[in-house]
Amino acid sequence: MSDNTPSPKLRLSGVTKSFLAPRTGLSTLAVAEMSLDIQTGEFICIVGPSGCGKSTVLNMIAGLDVPTAGVIQKDGQAVTGPGADRGVMFQDYALMPWQTVEGNVGFGLRHGTPGQHLNKTQRNQRIAHFIDLVGLRGSEHKYPHQLSGGMRQRVALARLLANGPDILLLDEPLGALDAQTRLILQAELLRIWGETAPVTERKTAIFITHDIEEAVLLADRVVVMSTNPGRVREVVTIDLPRPRAGKARTHPRFGVLVEHIWSLIRDEAYRAIGGDESLAKPTEEATA
Amino acid sequence: MTNMNAGQRAAAWGRKLVLPVLLIAAWQFWASTLPTGSPAPAPLKVLQTLGDLLSTGSLLSATVQSLGRVVLGFAMASVLGIALGLMMGASQAVRENLDPIIESFRPIAPMAILPIAILWLGTGTPTALAIVAYASFFPVLINTVHGVSRVDRKLVLASRTMGISRWTILTRVVLPGALPSILLGTRLAMGVAWTAIIAAELAVGAKSGGGGSGGIGQMMFVFYAYNIDLNAIVVCMAVVGVVALLIDQLFRLVEKRLIPWKA
Amino acid sequence: MGMAMTTSAGSPVLRSYRTLWVSLRSFAVFFALWWLLHWWNGNPLQLPSPLKVFEALWGLLREGEIAEHASVSTLRMLLALSLSILVAVPLGFWMGLSRLAEEFIDPLVEMLRPISGIAWLPLALFIFGVGDTLPVFIMFYVGFFPILLNTVAGVRQTDARLLAAARTMGIGRWPLLVHVLVPSALPTVMVGIRLAFAASWAAIVAAELIGSPTGLGFAIEWYRQMLMTPKVFAFILAIGVVGYVCDLGLRSLQRRLTPWADGTGASS
Repeated sequence: MSDNTPSPKLRLSGVTKSFLAPRTGLSTLAVAEMSLDIQTGEFICIVGPSGCGKSTVLNMIAGLDVPTAGVIQKDGQAVTGPGADRGVMFQDYALMPWQTVEGNVGFGLRHGTPGQHLNKTQRNQRIAHFIDLVGLRGSEHKYPHQLSGGMRQRVALARLLANGPDILLLDEPLGALDAQTRLILQAELLRIWGETAPVTERKTAIFITHDIEEAVLLADRVVVMSTNPGRVREVVTIDLPRPRAGKARTHPRFGVLVEHIWSLIRDEAYRAIGGDESLAKPTEEATA
Repeated sequence: MTNMNAGQRAAAWGRKLVLPVLLIAAWQFWASTLPTGSPAPAPLKVLQTLGDLLSTGSLLSATVQSLGRVVLGFAMASVLGIALGLMMGASQAVRENLDPIIESFRPIAPMAILPIAILWLGTGTPTALAIVAYASFFPVLINTVHGVSRVDRKLVLASRTMGISRWTILTRVVLPGALPSILLGTRLAMGVAWTAIIAAELAVGAKSGGGGSGGIGQMMFVFYAYNIDLNAIVVCMAVVGVVALLIDQLFRLVEKRLIPWKA
Repeated sequence: MGMAMTTSAGSPVLRSYRTLWVSLRSFAVFFALWWLLHWWNGNPLQLPSPLKVFEALWGLLREGEIAEHASVSTLRMLLALSLSILVAVPLGFWMGLSRLAEEFIDPLVEMLRPISGIAWLPLALFIFGVGDTLPVFIMFYVGFFPILLNTVAGVRQTDARLLAAARTMGIGRWPLLVHVLVPSALPTVMVGIRLAFAASWAAIVAAELIGSPTGLGFAIEWYRQMLMTPKVFAFILAIGVVGYVCDLGLRSLQRRLTPWADGTGASS
């Protein structure tokens, strides 16, 4: 389904990452020979059991970590370090506690590269726009410790978008929220990403999550990783129609896709929690 | 440093000593440029004086005297501080009523109490003890109260539902729970006490014309005002520092032994 | 063990009135006990009655003598604290950021730290003589270490994630230092400054008692020698009050500079 003639926005070629434990000198292979092509405007979700290297991969794409072997290319250029073109939304939001909402959203614009070509007024307008977009108007002068988890997540999202990155990297951004807030924000995320807009106007997004249903809801393709070492097990194309918010969960294909992905992860997930693998076998359902 | 080889470890030690050694060498160099009669202290002369003072035993006896006072004053203050702290931590009423008084005395430095102590107790050991006790009291008290407040109330409630007596709860639940903070308080208090005794002995020595109080602080004053010997003063300063370090290390060791469950 | 389940009155206004009432009550009891002790002791030179002390305090305030000595001491303190901050904070940042700098400098710091400021008095008296410089030097020395140690700690405990986040926004090395590291370390540095103040204020009494012709420390010793005990008490009270007020000032500065921290140095 993916057309190979336009060059991919992001290309991982044989990316490998091993960590050296400082005390013991032992090396752990976190990611092994991962290769993946991601097109412009695609929404990719990465799922997998704990410890499969999902965050490691994201960090490498972000440039916060360097592959031990292999290469990551964006627009054909090798990634050498972090930059505002690949914006990250961290699991714990990483908001600056000493800045207000307004200060946090505008942090990159004011002190980093994204806002260099703008004057002060334009920057302020941009900040206000994104605060509005995530629905936080009125809270501009609050500090992070005064905000709820959901609000903090929205600040992080606004900051991410305000910096205008090419690629959005999101590391389990909804993980710390309660289930209802999560549902709301999933819909928000799709809207902001541009689900209702044509493909060419969408941002490229890579989203890590534990929640398989979330992955199927959001993604164009789901990259299923296996652990020990981390590698791509399968890339599942989600052929559900867009826009999905509110309708996808009741689509007949939804459950099938979720179950398929879960079947790929199930064994390893059980192993990860130290459980009995025999429990992993599906039980017979009593019918009628 | 466990993952370094011998060479790297040697280099690390080297880096540690570079600055102090350099400074001492520079100091010695500067001292040697002075005329021979100069009273200025010099590292070599300091070492020589150290040897002299040790051989006459005066350094040791003065140190022991100071330490004795510190330990006694600290012990008195700790007993009172822990007891009062436990009471205040356990009872809101006690805490409410005593807090204003205690908080008012906190900004009043131990040395500010010295003139009163001299008026009441003269210029000898009792005064020094009083200052040390006053100085040690607050860290112990405040940390004990803090420690008690951090004890999980649910543990106390659970104990009460098991019919455990209040006294047993205090000694078996509250005290162990507050122990890390209490031990921190005693360690801080001991450090403060050591500083306080030196200050007290120094000041008393200054006011009583160099007579009779003994101790390192007194000795320092004598070397300042009577048998003027700056090298001896430096020796005393070094002793003050070394003893302070030893006290701190000792208390940390005790802490580790008594609270093996703490990180 | 009644970890008192009694709740104080609900609204904050009512609660602060109650605190005031309890404080006044405690002080009243305290003064009553004092007076009893004075009466039992019978020697007004040793323990003057509270009334005499307040009389003396009032007199000293009116004559401006307290203001005179207090301002001398406070100015010295401010000067010393400023110097400590000016030296210790940049040094602390350097040591916090550069492992090498820390390896070289820390041993010297740890060798000097156990030698309390007071222990420097005789030597310092020799070098500076009696006067203004001596108390300032002692206070600078005493205040230096808490600020240095806290600054290093503040830099070290900067959340690596915040730095990572900033780098993903294209923030360069110097802006990273100024806009992320400094604000992140600031609460801990402020705690260090308050600690430094408390230690310096205690040290100034000793320094002025022995080595200065002016200041609050000098005053309490002066009046003791003249056996004017009520005035001794009055000045001791002044030392406590000025110390308390200065700490209040520092606390409010702390709130202004680091409104996101809860005052104990911990940030959200």
